[in-house]
Amino acid sequence: MGMNSGIKKVLQAAAPPAFWLGVWQLAALAVGRELLLPGPLSVGARLLALAGTADFWLSVGATLGRVLLGLGWGALTGTALAFLTHFSPWADRLIAPAVRVVRATPVVSFILLVYLWVDRSAIPWVIAGLMVLPVVWGALSAGLDSLDKKLLELARAYRFSRGKTLGLVYLPALRPHIEAGLLTAFGLAWKSGVAAEVLSPPARAIGSRIQQAKLGLETPDLLAWTLAIVALSLALEGLLRRGLGRGRKL
Amino acid sequence: MIKLEHITLCYGDKLVLDRFSLELPAEGLTALSGPSGCGKTTLLRVMAGLERPEAGEVSGMDPARAALLFQEDRLLPWRRVRQHITDVLPRSRRGEGERWLAFAELEGEGDVYPAALSGGMARRLALARCAALGGEVLLLDEPFAGVDRTRTARLLDRLRGLGVPIVLATHQPQVLAACDAVIALEGPPLRRV
Repeated sequence: MGMNSGIKKVLQAAAPPAFWLGVWQLAALAVGRELLLPGPLSVGARLLALAGTADFWLSVGATLGRVLLGLGWGALTGTALAFLTHFSPWADRLIAPAVRVVRATPVVSFILLVYLWVDRSAIPWVIAGLMVLPVVWGALSAGLDSLDKKLLELARAYRFSRGKTLGLVYLPALRPHIEAGLLTAFGLAWKSGVAAEVLSPPARAIGSRIQQAKLGLETPDLLAWTLAIVALSLALEGLLRRGLGRGRKL
Repeated sequence: MIKLEHITLCYGDKLVLDRFSLELPAEGLTALSGPSGCGKTTLLRVMAGLERPEAGEVSGMDPARAALLFQEDRLLPWRRVRQHITDVLPRSRRGEGERWLAFAELEGEGDVYPAALSGGMARRLALARCAALGGEVLLLDEPFAGVDRTRTARLLDRLRGLGVPIVLATHQPQVLAACDAVIALEGPPLRRV
């Protein structure tokens, strides 16, 4: 019984990826040209070969560093602006439309513009941060607007200091908004950061490798790097979720 | 004496206090009784400095040193029962947590979150938190709502033992009977009966 349910669980987990890998393989066979669509086996083999090189891990590390830098400055600035626009009607009138414009602007437009303004190596983290900022600002602004005013009045009536009010009322109440904002922002930072790397290829980056693979018509390499991005994104998002979940239990 | 003199306060177009004056004893338990919505809560909020009247003044007490028990419990869902007490205690009095839990008869509940408390328990916690704050005057809005009669009697004794003047708004005959003075009100606008 126990073994049967174990096998059932493995099958349930393995069936969807196996199905899609099968579809991919069939499509590759139907196309019949590796240049246009290589099959999963050749892409997997290429990924394994790449993962055995130091350049792969250095590129991954460099890209990750830029994405985290972008996430960091975007999240911090978005948080500061959310508090500023919440507490100052004038700041809200001034800043909120600008943040909305940033949110609505296509990432490609920003990449091309930022290309003119900053050093090439800085473009990916500047872009990642620009994509993160409005998401964090929006999530926190919604959280601040929905704060229970009665709890804030309690903090005032019971003479809580500003720090205590922040720690005991604001942060716990904003926590779900911060978590949701960070998870969405992380995915955006990752995607926009790599896109910026493709268009402004720095010396060492996943995006630069994708660009090289495209220029060399090495489609298996292109897909292998893409798979690496997806796998890293999912793994890091999982880590972030676990980290946020652990924080909630403390 | 605590004096409220010619207090005027409006909520929008609604006149709640119209040059209202009242003298309250600066000791013992004083009850404010009256129908719901007559303005008792507003009066307590004025005394606690949470409402700024358009006219009039409060003397004989410092609103900044009063402790108000709100009509709602206003517990923090993410703080444990014991933390609700220690959060309002100054560092030098942090050790008093258990004493105030005993005051509210919540000794065994220190580690649970408010969601696990019954209505009466939550009210007792809110009352203990307010009392632990150490105000020079306690302003209690419906302090025993949802609390059983036996516990209400014990809590009244403990409140009296704090030795600070207490002004409370209530409908409960048991509480009115236990107070040193009862002021009957009606309104709005608020006026003595």
